[in-house]
Amino acid sequence: MTLFDRLRIERLVWTLDQQLYDLPHHSRVAKRREVRANLLEASRDVGTSAALKRLGGSRRLAAEYLDAELGRRRHSWIAAVYFLGGVPLLLNFFLSEAAGAYERAITAADPHATGTYTWRGVSYLQSAITYTFDQGHASHVGGAWSPLVYVLWIGGAVACGRLWRLLPRA
Amino acid sequence: MTSSHDPQLLKGVLSLLLLRLLAERESYGYEVVQRLHETGFVDVLEGTVYPALARLEREGRLATRLVPSPSGPARKYYRLTPDGHRYLRTATDTWNRHVDGVNAVLRRPLPNDPEGTPT
Repeated sequence: MTLFDRLRIERLVWTLDQQLYDLPHHSRVAKRREVRANLLEASRDVGTSAALKRLGGSRRLAAEYLDAELGRRRHSWIAAVYFLGGVPLLLNFFLSEAAGAYERAITAADPHATGTYTWRGVSYLQSAITYTFDQGHASHVGGAWSPLVYVLWIGGAVACGRLWRLLPRA
Repeated sequence: MTSSHDPQLLKGVLSLLLLRLLAERESYGYEVVQRLHETGFVDVLEGTVYPALARLEREGRLATRLVPSPSGPARKYYRLTPDGHRYLRTATDTWNRHVDGVNAVLRRPLPNDPEGTPT
């Protein structure tokens, strides 16, 4: 077997592994090992191209493995993690932009503003923000997520990852 | 030798075939595929068989063990568990009843068949 053939097999195994991330670690390792061993043997028998073709592609194989392991109760840790990671990035970006806009509005009205201003923040999503201005230079505190955001964040992750499917059946 | 099978029919009966083959002899994944090919199921893909073996293992109908191979990585051998043997007997009976029932219908002559022969 040539190095190129070996690399093609490893590429398939690696791609398959990436698509099996919702399986437990030990199960993924076992599948990786088994598919690699079988592919190496098939490659010696019928050639690497035919062996890879007969496997039907990593995406299809991964889907079959996930069906076999998780059945209809399919959940996705990956989708849940994407949601958990993505929502803070986006929400904090928009809240920060909103806070910046309020600050700019104050300095636009009075470039030498001095004093304390309070903004109630984006309704339902955050606590009040207190701005302290000194000759047009501002700092602010507050603006933390409201409890509702935490509830929606966790609820969204459960919904996105269909994590209720992990609950034991009655 | 059969060269083509209805994929849906085959999917329904694949577990039974795998259990029967493994009841005859402990095998590893690629060997199971080769044995299926030898019995006429030449268009069964490895990508269908390996997940089916994983499903049977998860259901407790197959047990596995790793055996060192002289020509490469260790092979994962599958064999039937007692539950697998029980399931095989039950599923074989069910399959035979199913085939008898289907054949009984298919062998009836068609009323509008000009030749009057069973199809």
